[in-house]
Amino acid sequence: MSQIKTEVLIIGGGIGGAAIARELSKYKVDATLVEKGPDVGQGITKCSSTIMCQGSNVLEFRSEYHNSRLVWAGMTMMEPLCKELDIPLKRIGSLELIKNQEEMRHPEKMMRRFKEYKGKYIPDEVEPLQFIDRDTLRSWEPNVNKSYLGALYDPNIAVNDPVRLTIALADNARKNGIKVLLDTEVMSISKGTDEFEVCTNNGSIKCRYIINAAGEYVGKIAQMADADDFALYPVKSYQAVLDKKLGGIINHMVLSNENGMVAPTIHGNLFFGISPGTQRLGKAHDHSTDKKLADAALKNAQELVPGISERDITNSFVGFIVFRNFEIGWHECTVGVSRWVPRFINASIGFPGICAAPAVAKEMIDILRNQGLQLTENPDFDPYEKSMPDFSELSDEEKRQIIAKDPKYGHVVCRCETVTEGEIVEAIKRGARTLDGVKFRCRPGMGRCQGGFCGPRVTKILARELGISEEEVTKKGGESRNLLYKSKELLEAQQ
Amino acid sequence: MKLQDIDVAVIGAGPAGMAAAIRAREAGAENVIIMERAEELGGLLHQCVHNGFGLLYFNEDLTGPEYGNRFIEKVMDTGVKPLLETMVVKLTEDRQIGAVNAKEGFITFRPKSVVLAMGCRERSRGALNIPGSRPSGVLTAGTAQRFVNVEGFLPGKRIVILGSGDIGMIMARRLTLEGAKVEAVVEILPYIGGLIRNEVQCLHDFDIPLYLQHTVTQIHGEERVTAVTIAKVDADRNPVPGTQRKIQCDSLLLSAGLIPENELSLMAGIRLDPVTGGAVVDETRQTNIAGVFAGGNVLHVHDLVDNVSWESELAGESAAKFAMERDLGEKGTINLKAGTNIRYIVPQTISGQRDTTLYMRVNEPQENVRIKIGDIMTKTVRAVKPSEMIKIELSSEKLQKVNKETKEIIVSCEKRGGK
Ligand SMILES: Cc1cc2nc3c(=O)[nH]c(=O)nc-3n(C[C@H](O)[C@H](O)[C@H](O)COP(=O)(O)OP(=O)(O)OC[C@H]3O[C@@H](n4cnc5c(N)ncnc54)[C@H](O)[C@@H]3O)c2cc1C
Repeated sequence: MSQIKTEVLIIGGGIGGAAIARELSKYKVDATLVEKGPDVGQGITKCSSTIMCQGSNVLEFRSEYHNSRLVWAGMTMMEPLCKELDIPLKRIGSLELIKNQEEMRHPEKMMRRFKEYKGKYIPDEVEPLQFIDRDTLRSWEPNVNKSYLGALYDPNIAVNDPVRLTIALADNARKNGIKVLLDTEVMSISKGTDEFEVCTNNGSIKCRYIINAAGEYVGKIAQMADADDFALYPVKSYQAVLDKKLGGIINHMVLSNENGMVAPTIHGNLFFGISPGTQRLGKAHDHSTDKKLADAALKNAQELVPGISERDITNSFVGFIVFRNFEIGWHECTVGVSRWVPRFINASIGFPGICAAPAVAKEMIDILRNQGLQLTENPDFDPYEKSMPDFSELSDEEKRQIIAKDPKYGHVVCRCETVTEGEIVEAIKRGARTLDGVKFRCRPGMGRCQGGFCGPRVTKILARELGISEEEVTKKGGESRNLLYKSKELLEAQQ
Repeated sequence: MKLQDIDVAVIGAGPAGMAAAIRAREAGAENVIIMERAEELGGLLHQCVHNGFGLLYFNEDLTGPEYGNRFIEKVMDTGVKPLLETMVVKLTEDRQIGAVNAKEGFITFRPKSVVLAMGCRERSRGALNIPGSRPSGVLTAGTAQRFVNVEGFLPGKRIVILGSGDIGMIMARRLTLEGAKVEAVVEILPYIGGLIRNEVQCLHDFDIPLYLQHTVTQIHGEERVTAVTIAKVDADRNPVPGTQRKIQCDSLLLSAGLIPENELSLMAGIRLDPVTGGAVVDETRQTNIAGVFAGGNVLHVHDLVDNVSWESELAGESAAKFAMERDLGEKGTINLKAGTNIRYIVPQTISGQRDTTLYMRVNEPQENVRIKIGDIMTKTVRAVKPSEMIKIELSSEKLQKVNKETKEIIVSCEKRGGK
């Protein structure tokens, strides 16, 4: 068992932990990020709706929430961040649908509030909201249910791929000097006078500062250090991804109070989900989908967009949104130093936490300074990452060039998403060690057949590149091996 | 052979593609290529090591690879040019093909005619929308078949199979022979999805329990499957409360339907039939795009490979004729419409000018029926089942009864005697 020492320990490699690590890497500091899984971005971040730059529709502009202010501050940070890290971001805009005369007052109220907050809480560059009447709504979105009377249009809303963003943030942090330890789970924490000793499955880590960015498990980690001066309210939320062939039927994110939302993803499919706040409490950490939730979500989505059918679902999953308890208020996050334990900083970033992450990361710098950490700039900081090639997005000429350079790009492994062996090998070079790790970097298995065709082939490539046997390849680390036995192994055992 | 001189380009080298390419050559097309993403010709036949292939076509009982090899040899003998490890990624309205392979890179060309023979894929967990956690160990029966028969691995040793399609039942037997225990085959319908012979030879002969009118209501396990819950379903296919039962297992195989693989067809703007999931074709197997034909499972899912071969030969022959003559004569102007207890009919339209074989499936099993093709002919059948395709030969003689103005013929399946 190893023993290491670090000044700042970040627990959790979700968007929160990764954004904080990357922000810290702009300074000369000895910091380490630990993640229990084999890859970053595989917690709540993986389950998100991928909607960026949202400030209006979810939080209803309540300025007293710390969460709101972080989300609003983040609205103009996401785009430049994605540029630096070479992560595509697409502005799609959102349409909050109006059902009846009573709801007609809502847009006006929101537009008024927006004006009031602009410059004060909301950055100046953020574009104003607009009311869209029924005819405009129909011409913009002919496939939306015709019964809606109009919509509140927010042109700022964008989509990106939060897992790729998280991977890029972690890669960039690592490049700029932050240590990233995967497969490292925090098991317990003991407090010394001016130091914590953190026990993990891979040895112990001594540190002066802890940033608790464990997502769904933020309460559990805080408890380990008796820093749980908050109570959480986890809300189970459901999402389903639809076949790419429905991709073009909706162009904006469309949502309604009762019926959740339908939106395009950055990769060209549609997905739908029940928005938080309309769901009852799920059993904490139970990540299974259930039929009731799935049926309700489908019915809701069909209410918004009647052309959606169950047989076009290619994948569905649930995630937990971590809010504060009721007394504090639904939409509050837990970002700040524990009131009980100095130098123990919680970074539970609530909803929409991906939007808030860049602002949370900036705030962490101030908090750490306030807690006595000396931070001077890292003169060697390099803010840029180059994302890996996406074969399916290349022009015919670019396709020719890349295959000429490396024939592996001429071998298509995943037929649904047109992913080549070249991309898979590159993803493994960049740190993918599991089927999910490959899938979230370059998408084999994300399409309509869900890996039925490419699964055996990706398994083979992973085994070859990592120098392991095919049976050792896992879906997502731990006990998730895909192939349990060799042919004849069971028969031999029976003899 | 230069790319610009290609007469017929066949996409996919499974049984459908091979039959189409061979027949296109035999019918006189000079330059015929067959494009396949895998390393070899044969498609899925390589992983189907069981027998039951060719009973109709060759009058012999062959294994999948044996059946495939006969066609592979013929592909070579007839001078069809195979283009292997080549993935077609683009097909346009005017028959432009874009494809990639490691040797030539990205190639584009415009053949005189195209045959679509991309086959089908299996319905995945997402498409079935099965509730529960998301562990490893949930895979389609066909993927499991590839792992076992081609790659040499077993997914697990305690298996539950959802769906009673042919591949699922065949894998139940295969895995049992490999020493695994198949705990249950679970089928939501009151009857099996595959062939009766497979139910007898793969399930009954190996004492594998079959639960009809049951479904998997939950998958358990965080990292690897640990169990599934199954339950009885009512007439509307909803689980009946109180009938849930948890079965410990390490793998769940899915064999619940096949979906024709028509993404390229959609890209080209080919009209699809919402019931078959394949293109709408006339009796020459031409789609709504002139010079683009389709055959085999990409058109509609077959239960017997023999029919795939025959149907695709027809597509290949038409493609050759189109390549040489630029025209096929009469267009399909008469729509065949599914009436009582008929799920679909292929071809969907006919010209009424030539002998035609109609392929069709029923919605529900039924005994002692009469299949009526409008008022031109009837055929009595002892029993029909959704899993078994019905073939009816329609001669041009019979078709002469059809009035010139006829736009639609209703095909129905009705109980014999009484009503
Ligand atoms: C269904 C759904 C839709 C959403 N949609 C949006 C959206 O559209 N836009 C938006 O901005 N936000 C959205 N959110 C919210 C957003 O996804 C979350 O706020 C954000 O991802 C939280 O990131 P995180 O880093 O705090 O948590 P996580 O991503 O969960 O990261 C925490 C990490 O900590 C690790 N960890 C936990 N315990 C330990 C331990 N003991 N030791 C080591 N590591 C540990 C975990 O493995 C995990 O990787 C959505 C959330 C859900 C559930």
